Amino acid sequence: MPPPPASPWPLLQLRRVCRLSLDRPASLPVDTRACLFARPQTAKTACFSTSPARWANPSPKKKGLVAAPKRGTRTLNVKRGKRASGQSTARPPAVGERKAQRKRVVLSNNNALPVPGLVDLDKSNALSDDIRGHVMGIPDLAVDALRAVDAFKPTQGWRLFRRPATLIRTETARLAGLVRDVQAPAEGQARATVRRILTGDRLSGKSTLLLQGLAVAWLQGWVVVNLPEAKDLVNGHTDYAPLPGSRPAQYTQDTYTASLLSQMVAANSALFAATRVVTKPTLPVPLPATATLKQLAELGIASPEASWPVFVALWAELTHPGRPPVMLTLDGLSHIMRESDYLSADVKPIHSHDLTLVRHFVDHLSGKVPLPNGGIVLAATSTSNAPSSPALDFSVLLAKARARNAHPSHTPTWNPYRVVDQRAMECLANVDTLNVSGLSKEEARTIMEYYAQSGLLRAKVDEKLVAEKWSLAGMGNVGELERTSIRLV
Amino acid sequence: MARGELPRNLHRAFRGLRRPQCERATQSLRGSLCPAAPRCLSTTAPRPAEIVESQENFTAAPPIDFEQQGKGFTGKRLLKTLRIVPASPSYFSAKPTFTDDYISLLALLRRNATLPTIPKAEAPKVIWKTIDQYRVMTNEPVRNMRYHNMLHLLRRLNCIHPGLMPQEVRDAMLRYKKPSQPGDIKANPAVIDELGRAKGVGRRKTSSATAWVIEGEGEVLINGKSITSFFGRLHDRESAVWALKATERLDKYNVWGLVSGGGVTGQAEALTLAVAKALMVHEPALKPALRRAGCVTRDPRKVERKKPGHVKSRKMPTWVKR
Repeated sequence: MPPPPASPWPLLQLRRVCRLSLDRPASLPVDTRACLFARPQTAKTACFSTSPARWANPSPKKKGLVAAPKRGTRTLNVKRGKRASGQSTARPPAVGERKAQRKRVVLSNNNALPVPGLVDLDKSNALSDDIRGHVMGIPDLAVDALRAVDAFKPTQGWRLFRRPATLIRTETARLAGLVRDVQAPAEGQARATVRRILTGDRLSGKSTLLLQGLAVAWLQGWVVVNLPEAKDLVNGHTDYAPLPGSRPAQYTQDTYTASLLSQMVAANSALFAATRVVTKPTLPVPLPATATLKQLAELGIASPEASWPVFVALWAELTHPGRPPVMLTLDGLSHIMRESDYLSADVKPIHSHDLTLVRHFVDHLSGKVPLPNGGIVLAATSTSNAPSSPALDFSVLLAKARARNAHPSHTPTWNPYRVVDQRAMECLANVDTLNVSGLSKEEARTIMEYYAQSGLLRAKVDEKLVAEKWSLAGMGNVGELERTSIRLV
Repeated sequence: MARGELPRNLHRAFRGLRRPQCERATQSLRGSLCPAAPRCLSTTAPRPAEIVESQENFTAAPPIDFEQQGKGFTGKRLLKTLRIVPASPSYFSAKPTFTDDYISLLALLRRNATLPTIPKAEAPKVIWKTIDQYRVMTNEPVRNMRYHNMLHLLRRLNCIHPGLMPQEVRDAMLRYKKPSQPGDIKANPAVIDELGRAKGVGRRKTSSATAWVIEGEGEVLINGKSITSFFGRLHDRESAVWALKATERLDKYNVWGLVSGGGVTGQAEALTLAVAKALMVHEPALKPALRRAGCVTRDPRKVERKKPGHVKSRKMPTWVKR
């Protein structure tokens, strides 16, 4: 009789161990005991590691260990759209779409009523005193030009009305008076260059006054050049390059200059198309003989690397004797009165005044470079988007003291222990200010009647309402007046 | 008065009658601290001397003359001949002050019952002492009901026609009045100064505001700034000048305000009160209108303090199982 066959189980295990030890490198320690007791139907990968199996089937969370719900909180999740992952399935807006939405300027509202008897500004009435205190429409061509130079701001309330119209307030009339004085100087005198800084409270209408100045100047056939946001010049968002041969180094912003040229062409198209180049500029791109200013500017638009020489050549043309006066404006002055966000080759911040476009504007604002054909240089301060610029603040205080002929003991003095931006201080040394204050009650009444005629203010505009809104708007602050009577925020 | 001396007389009179167990009890209680002053009549703490102005005239018995009365008697037999009359009629009640007061008021009313009276509603407003104050004053556990009855007497006395109120009634009532009465404190009347300014002060939450109101065009300056730059919200601006707006005086006055403390809303509402008070100086007749507009009463609400054991003032920590 053969001996009874041994139980096959230990034999199988032994064979498994042998195969394992053959498969594995000898250096790897093999826990034979674990293998001996491992069931054959468990994971085949590596019987001594449990992590892959756990990965495959993560152990379910133990139930009943969560904290009891807080008293007074909902246990049922009824918030829709708030996924646990926190990601919405909607597509994010395309690149630049959000900014376009933010910067969009809407100039008409078809739901607003057309105001009967609204007179447009034109070349003859813009400079007269008769329109003071009236709301005047801005003609369509002027609207196109102003839109081309980005004079309309998205923060202004143009989108509420049927078409752009503006109140000719005291400050506007004063600015129109300056335009008139520049245009028609006294006998035997050259056209003057007027330089002003617009100051005033928040929402007092400084940017709108810039726009009104540009509109009046454009209607008189002036060349209008607007730098709509000083911040865009210095915040390091455009390309820049050192200007060859400049010492100390200056930097051009080619793309920005090219877009500025295109704005100038769009706003002053009639003049640029009709005027021929008379100087002989040396440009890196060929210029046809008997070219117009428009063709000259388009060279810079087409090839941004040549935009700065083209701009210089164009400016030389514009300041050539016999050409119309120039209105040069900038909004957000305090941005260019400090170091810019650009870095030089040795990683030092570049002062804003070393950027050629800023340099160009500042030279005209400070009076270092006059406008031979006359003109106005306006710089508006901002109170909502303004980096601190002690030099600017001090210069404004000084200019106001100068304007009221203050006694020397009452003029402000610079604290000698404060660090001063000397270049800003020098360029603002003798610039006057134009303060934009609140509306008078009559002006407030006019503009509120305009709101009512546009169908936006549904109340009887009488003495009482005007007085109330005027007081609540901080003594006639025009932006606040609009907010309190129309927008109700 | 005789009352103060009475215990001593009694002590003397009863010295021989003291019962032994009483002495033992006091000895065991007080131990060796003050063995020289044995007391057994009173079981309460000694009562401070009180000024009793309006007690009924009650004469105590004259001092005992042992020479006259005790002829032929000595020792205990002498004492048996004596009859002791205490100064207070309510002496043998446990604590006599309340009863004395009550009896004296009753007697006062009996004497003055025929005087003409006025209706209760027209009687001068008096705030009587609360029962707790009376208890503290007399150091006596007076019952509510009894004090209530005494107040009835006092109210009845108060209804005597003020023109005919006898001085003794006035003096008697003084004992039961609170030290401060309504109408005692009178604010100085506010005035418009030589420059035409009226000043008002207002508070709300932790803000306090001072406003100078002057006749003008409706200009408002707060801490030297225009109202729009000081208050960003339109609602706060309206709150600040609400007193003027509600009375349609916004274009008649200028306001110059100084605010400090607290937040924006508190500052605006403090200004409401300040401007209203200053406006009432200019036009006192506006007070009812201003009250209807809610500009007269100070809002006393403040942040409730945090308590120990709470997360906030009332919020309790989260419930945790174990």
